[in-house]
Amino acid sequence: MNFSRIFHNLNYAVSALLFLMGLYTVTVKPNLIKKLIGLNIMETSVFLLIVSLGMIPDGQAPIVTNGVRPSMMVNPIPQALILTGIVVAVSTTAVALSLCIRIHEKYDTLDAFKIHGRGGL
Amino acid sequence: MRKIMVLAALVVIGIVLLYAVGKMPPMNSRNTPDKTHVVPRYLNEGESEGGAKNIITGVILNYRGYDTMGEVTVIFSALCATIALLDREKRKVSRSGVDASGVRASVIVRTVVRFLVPIVVFFAAYMILHGEATPGGGFQGGAIIGASVIIFTLVFGLPESTRRMPLKARVPFESIAMLGFLAMGFIGIAFGVNFLTYVLPGLHGSLVDTIRSQMLMVIEIGIGIGGGLVFTSIVLAMVREDEYELQPDIPQP
Amino acid sequence: MNWVLNLLLLIFLVCTAAAAILIKDLLAAAIVFSAYSLLMAILWTQLRAPDLAITEAAVGAGVTTVLLIVTIYRTVRKEE
Repeated sequence: MNFSRIFHNLNYAVSALLFLMGLYTVTVKPNLIKKLIGLNIMETSVFLLIVSLGMIPDGQAPIVTNGVRPSMMVNPIPQALILTGIVVAVSTTAVALSLCIRIHEKYDTLDAFKIHGRGGL
Repeated sequence: MRKIMVLAALVVIGIVLLYAVGKMPPMNSRNTPDKTHVVPRYLNEGESEGGAKNIITGVILNYRGYDTMGEVTVIFSALCATIALLDREKRKVSRSGVDASGVRASVIVRTVVRFLVPIVVFFAAYMILHGEATPGGGFQGGAIIGASVIIFTLVFGLPESTRRMPLKARVPFESIAMLGFLAMGFIGIAFGVNFLTYVLPGLHGSLVDTIRSQMLMVIEIGIGIGGGLVFTSIVLAMVREDEYELQPDIPQP
Repeated sequence: MNWVLNLLLLIFLVCTAAAAILIKDLLAAAIVFSAYSLLMAILWTQLRAPDLAITEAAVGAGVTTVLLIVTIYRTVRKEE
């Protein structure tokens, strides 16, 4: 365990920590909306990890303007992939919240154990 | 008991992940292996091959066009799923409980929102059309249009909002993103090259650059309008509550 | 001096995520989640990704928060 390297790669370590916090929320908390918040935290932590891979010292945004040489730009590939990822995250959150509304209309609760007790899930 | 077992498992996973972070190459350094093989080609030729000054727009619409088509498919499927779950029947009056108190928002809020929403839509149009030279692009503009419709619905109420954007006006344009993408893709097939090729390979010149720019802009406008209408329809479907008997139109004070 | 801002943002990110998980009132958790989204948008600006910053600000603080609040209005407000 190279502690100085872990402290230098602080973005990656915080991404791992946020992933674990999200995973704890999804598995332990019984409320469905809390699980969705945990799922979103997991997704954004992975985005943080992938975009932090492309950073260079004194980097500039990857847009061609006057005074920005291509060797000074950060890596544009992770940013393009994560843009799609953010869109997919918000789409799945919207569908999941619609499902929560319908589940509440049918079972009158949003607690996972009580829904299982009333014959659902 | 469950909590303790889950916490123990998470601590084990955490130790493994931190060990992996310790083995990764240092962050914020210039010559890691992921930046030396493929990336200089994308940065040096991104403007001439991709067709846009914003290299990210060139990547998502030209180098990685299939992924963007998949993303548009996901947005459209999310809209279909949400409306299939929530918007079940047509009612004469759409009521929402969010603004059911009968008290209008204050004069200051109403005036500011009425002044601000056209400016926000204008800014979204700027962001869609200028996405090739500045930060921005199709999807960003669509999300801003969605946000402006949300704020209008929350302040003025659902009947006002549905009156201005009725279902009949929204439905022809909701799939414009998907159809625009497919249309631009099939133009390539019509000329004998692959799907989603915008210009024939081997042609150069400023007219070819202009044609490719315009094709990219058509796709971006499609994604912007389509994405904006998808968010609008999702929010208007979620805010609406179905009544189980028809209610007369209640005049607002 | 760049690393100071980065460090502060990461510390606040972990704190807001912990708060969004531990708060029992779901409406307060949704608002704290919106703050988490804002901090993530500032972090994207710090990592020189302007497209991602605009998208995260418009989508995270605009659409996801409103959808969560509308859902909480139509279902329960307090956990269990």
